[in-house]
Amino acid sequence: MLPLFKYHLRSIFIRWRSTVATILGLALVIAVFVLVQSLAVGIEKASANSGDPRNLLITRQGALAETTSVITREQFNIIRYLPGLAQDNAGQPLASADVLLIINLPRREATGNANVMLRGVAPAGRALRPQVTLVEGRWFEPGRREAVASRRLAGRFANLQVGQKFKTGGVELTVVGLFDAARSAFDSELWIDADEARSAFDRPDYSSVLVRPENEAAAARIKAALEAERRLKVKAVREVDYYKEQTRTAGPIRWLGNGLAVVMSIGAMFAAMNTLYASVGARTREIGTLRVLGFRRRSILLGFLLEGGLLAGFGGALGCVFALPMHGYSTGTLGWETFSEIVFDFQITPILAAQAVAFAIVVGLLGSFLPALRAARLPVIASLKSV
Amino acid sequence: MTVSGFIIKNAFRNKRRAALCVLSVAMSLFLLVTLLVVLNEFTNPPEDAGASLRIAVRNKVSLANPLPVRQRAVIEKMAGIDGVTALTFFGGKYKNDENTFFAQFAMDPEKLTAVFGEAKMPADQLAAWIKDRTSVIVGYDTAQRYQLKIGDKFPLVGQIYPVDLDLTIAGIYRGTTDDRNVFFHQKYLDELLGDPGTVGMWWVKARSAEEVPGLIDRINAAFANTSAEVLAETERAFQMGFISMWANIKILIGSICSVVVFALVLVTASTMSMAVRERLRELSVLKALGFRRHELFAFILAESFGLAVVGLLLGGGGAWLLYNSLSASALTGGLFATLTVTPRILGTAALVATGLGVVSSLAPAWSIMRLSVVEGLKTLD
Repeated sequence: MLPLFKYHLRSIFIRWRSTVATILGLALVIAVFVLVQSLAVGIEKASANSGDPRNLLITRQGALAETTSVITREQFNIIRYLPGLAQDNAGQPLASADVLLIINLPRREATGNANVMLRGVAPAGRALRPQVTLVEGRWFEPGRREAVASRRLAGRFANLQVGQKFKTGGVELTVVGLFDAARSAFDSELWIDADEARSAFDRPDYSSVLVRPENEAAAARIKAALEAERRLKVKAVREVDYYKEQTRTAGPIRWLGNGLAVVMSIGAMFAAMNTLYASVGARTREIGTLRVLGFRRRSILLGFLLEGGLLAGFGGALGCVFALPMHGYSTGTLGWETFSEIVFDFQITPILAAQAVAFAIVVGLLGSFLPALRAARLPVIASLKSV
Repeated sequence: MTVSGFIIKNAFRNKRRAALCVLSVAMSLFLLVTLLVVLNEFTNPPEDAGASLRIAVRNKVSLANPLPVRQRAVIEKMAGIDGVTALTFFGGKYKNDENTFFAQFAMDPEKLTAVFGEAKMPADQLAAWIKDRTSVIVGYDTAQRYQLKIGDKFPLVGQIYPVDLDLTIAGIYRGTTDDRNVFFHQKYLDELLGDPGTVGMWWVKARSAEEVPGLIDRINAAFANTSAEVLAETERAFQMGFISMWANIKILIGSICSVVVFALVLVTASTMSMAVRERLRELSVLKALGFRRHELFAFILAESFGLAVVGLLLGGGGAWLLYNSLSASALTGGLFATLTVTPRILGTAALVATGLGVVSSLAPAWSIMRLSVVEGLKTLD
């Protein structure tokens, strides 16, 4: 088997022009597949990066996202004084009632407007989300109409750099700082003070409450207590679990990626079949010689399948290499849960790359099956005589 | 044998190769047309007949912020309007269908004909809908998708609002560009929510196109410096606002289109080179017989052009047939209301096919031109 393997490996490069065209064609298919899928992976990663396993997020029962949840001040007061919450240095319970608003802002370079999530957050809210760190300027001071924006959001929208002002509704806010949220969902947000958000946007209620229980047992007790209190009509989930669910946008993108890959790979398969048929035709005499030397039909079949698989494997790997420069590149689209812009990266993970190469090899094997069958079925004597 | 006969014979002398080449071109062109159609649906949504007269009024902060009901009286009194209705996006799901792609709106039923006149249905159904507060009218496509008829229950589970709607179908309309939407009474929603005194948006129909710019200015001015400032814009501008939100997805689809085209060129070019290499000897014979270089080039060009055109007919024509004969909402599970293959898209595909024919004949033509007759006659392959 080993000499046969060498023979096929060398044969790939004999007719190098059509081989290169086939490999490149397949590489392009795989590059598209990887790029589209890496968007879905990016959305899922941004979600998975958000949240602290120790935190509980409390929202209205039935709300799909924080943006559509409502928590009244009375509910917040009940939640805040539940036993078992961790306390900050001043002895206050670590509980932050947030207000989430969707505001419409102009994009940079005047290419239209889009919705952005504005989070009104209490000081405790910052302590509960240590992954959000200030990278420029300072934090906002309550009552002074100040906001802090995600650095990556500021790169996509007009007037979000430090010192710039933007108007929304009747309020003018000044950006006094930029934060980095370590590639989490908070990278798609603008933050201001929670009570200021309520007064500025005329909102009597909060949207959600984030709390830090003392320990696992306390978390379970608080969850049970809130769900037992029917009148409250709230639900508590781990913050990490909440964000794990916020990936509906990724669904259609995956669907698009798979659909594209299937249709394009059918086209690429025809092309690979062409190349391999031509190669079988040109090597008729060599195949006859191999048979005379004692190689069985199934060895020939296997050999050509191997050749097709190898060719496709190269193509798949090359496709991953083509897609690789986009890794980490930040992009954005409309998030389905929040109805506002979500910022995320192309994420090409080793698993995705392995899937892509495996897919390419399957395409190669399917495409080489018929040519390989033809090679295996060649009559020995006639093929030896062919020119 | 005529020249054209010679070219056709040559193109199909290796039937398997010609077929595979045509199929891969067809597949790629089919994909290209599909992507362009989807891109077109995203960036250029179809326009209703009444769209030029309709004005969408939303909260200036964003669409997600409600508007106070007191604004209705102010807008109603304005000169030059045919009607104004509340329009509140409910955003629920139908039963337990996680892929509820049709939109559900609460509105003022008596204003349907004035504002959304394109929605046509029998007068008795309209009257029944207006009369019954818990009834709903359903677009024809949605009725088809879920096999609904008049009198059926139509439960909607609230996902934005904390209430579930228990609706009964009073009518099925058709005639709008998106016959998927369903409409129910704003009053019913208000009642379930305990009269919050707000609606999602106002939709205004102007009496004539000349009135529209003035009306937009007057509506915007009427609520400037109030607690709920509004943004009034034409229906078209409102739709375009949605498209702007899709952001980089548009660029992504655009780039995929160019990759598809590039892959296409590679495949066809490689097939053409194979075809030419196979008959270097014959071409040398032709040369020896006195055929000129440009004539040989014309043979190859015609052949690769022919393959590309057959691919175009199969791929582009196939896409055109598929999307025109099948219901778009059935095909995409209700994600798209229409999938229109516009003449412009077919033109683009034809242009790509033409370019493909020319480009893929270049490399083989080049090698023939350089070929010396003696060398060509000596080749064995």
